[in-house]
Amino acid sequence: MKAMFATRAEAITGLIVALAVIMASVAVEAWGTRILVSLLSQAVIVSFLAFAIGFLARTSNLVSFGHAAPFGLGAYGTAWVLSNGSPLPPELGLLLVVPAVAGVFFLVGLVVSRLEGIAFGMLTLALGQGFFVAASKFRGLTGGADGRIIDLPRRLFGLRADVVQSPYGMFVIGLAILALVYLALRAFEATHTGRLAAAIRENDERVRFLGYRSRALKAAVFALSAAIAALGGVLYALYQGFVSPEILHWSYSGSALIMSILGGTSLLWGPIAGAFAFFFLRQELSALTTHWLALVGATLVVVTVAWPSGLSGGIAALLSRLGLRTRQGAAP
Amino acid sequence: MLINALNGFVYGSLLFVLSSGLVLIYGLRRVVNFSHGALYMLGAYIGYAVAVRFGFLAGVVVAALALGLLGVVLDLVIFRQLSARNPLVTVIVTFGVMLILEDFVRTVWGTQNYTIDPPAVLSGVVQIAGAPFPVYRLFIVAASAAMAAGLGSWLRWGRTGLFVRAASFDAKVAAMCGVRTSVIGPMVVGLGAAFAGVSGIIAAPFLSLNPSMGSEILVLCFVVSVVGGLGSFSGAFLSAMLLGQVQAFGTVYTPELASLLPFLLMSLMLVFRPQGIAGMKVSS
Repeated sequence: MKAMFATRAEAITGLIVALAVIMASVAVEAWGTRILVSLLSQAVIVSFLAFAIGFLARTSNLVSFGHAAPFGLGAYGTAWVLSNGSPLPPELGLLLVVPAVAGVFFLVGLVVSRLEGIAFGMLTLALGQGFFVAASKFRGLTGGADGRIIDLPRRLFGLRADVVQSPYGMFVIGLAILALVYLALRAFEATHTGRLAAAIRENDERVRFLGYRSRALKAAVFALSAAIAALGGVLYALYQGFVSPEILHWSYSGSALIMSILGGTSLLWGPIAGAFAFFFLRQELSALTTHWLALVGATLVVVTVAWPSGLSGGIAALLSRLGLRTRQGAAP
Repeated sequence: MLINALNGFVYGSLLFVLSSGLVLIYGLRRVVNFSHGALYMLGAYIGYAVAVRFGFLAGVVVAALALGLLGVVLDLVIFRQLSARNPLVTVIVTFGVMLILEDFVRTVWGTQNYTIDPPAVLSGVVQIAGAPFPVYRLFIVAASAAMAAGLGSWLRWGRTGLFVRAASFDAKVAAMCGVRTSVIGPMVVGLGAAFAGVSGIIAAPFLSLNPSMGSEILVLCFVVSVVGGLGSFSGAFLSAMLLGQVQAFGTVYTPELASLLPFLLMSLMLVFRPQGIAGMKVSS
């Protein structure tokens, strides 16, 4: 009976999310100005990165300062599979980018998941910067600091490919994929493996004591989070038609981290809300002042100290006061 | 060959002084200060601004005092207030402080590069094994060694140094024994920040000033900490020296890969000895 209810609740959530995506698409089509639509499509792409960081923070209680690395690898991977140098047809190549990045980061995860807390943060910052330096140095492969232009084919998966470079097209595609990823992660968290991942976060030693191997699963969660970031990188590369090392720089990881903290990581959708809020905040504030960086820093300080549950926590508290329940994870 | 080793020594000693500030703060507060690179940068800029008007020595003194004061403020406003919270919260807050300081530097001094000449006394070259070597670089080594030795002997033999070690070992018990831990905190963070500021201005004639100098060296300091083992002075010393040599010989023999070598070193260390040289287990 309980299982029935869970699946039904899942089905309802899926329906709500699908409806929200369709409504948002229609509303933006009807009322969105050009600036708004382009802002929204950028926010959707970066929200994958914020989502990836938030998912890792929520599931494993690890704060990554270097998630621009999988994002950038996804973007550079896209540039490579669409170029003439790639041995695969572009469609197949595109589908393989994300699993390939996830595979690489599974191996990275096996090493870095030995550390936790602050050491993990320092390590990911340094590793991420290592990827940035590598992308700037290997000019033959990446075009160095000048970046690389993406040769977008005329048709992809039987559709006109330039849709992904129009803001509205990217907004709808990105939002739909984001919704699918969200629903998939929700389902993952309800599975045995998902619960085991949460148990490892709470007490690694006891989980091992119960006879489970924790290290591979920790690495797998890290790889899953990297895969989400890489998916964002693929969309970024398709939309911009250009990749340069700046998307691998630590400040890029940093701003995505800020988005996920602003949104709050205790709820799965928090970082996505944070990413959208961040983009609108930046749009409004950059018109008012040039001290954008300081404002971001100050926002970060205030939100972390005074409002650790972030935007999503605030909304959830409001909803629960109205009598609606939401599923809560661990606060960072 | 010898000159390369010496250059590595110069860079390594700078990294060590900076990292020892990180270690000092980590020891007491169990928090890694992500704004440490920004403090180093601020020290360099403040020192530069004073040095062009009143001379280099004044620049060093003012940088030390200003950054020491800023460190005290940071401790009172941030580290102490958040000491009961999850250390990650403090880390994220120091990350925010870094962004604010970086914006401050960009606003006041702009984004262009500045260079500063070493003081006249230290501007010559000496012959070492038949090759010319700038005196100023020797001064960097000497100054770093003096700072490190001063800090080390203060911690080892000084009465206050003893209190700092006691508070780092266990703040509660130290307080029960009559150590005024409320004074130790601002003192340690102030000292760490002053070290960062002084190394900034001392590095200024050797490197050059730009708004990304702080984050560049912060990343290298993290590499030093990960390789050396977080929270250990001797580990930081060994890994800073190792990193300096790797950088110096790397730029000569594999100029293409030189800037990647620290990260390779760090990755190898993680695979084979994740606890670092000093072998202390690191956790949140």
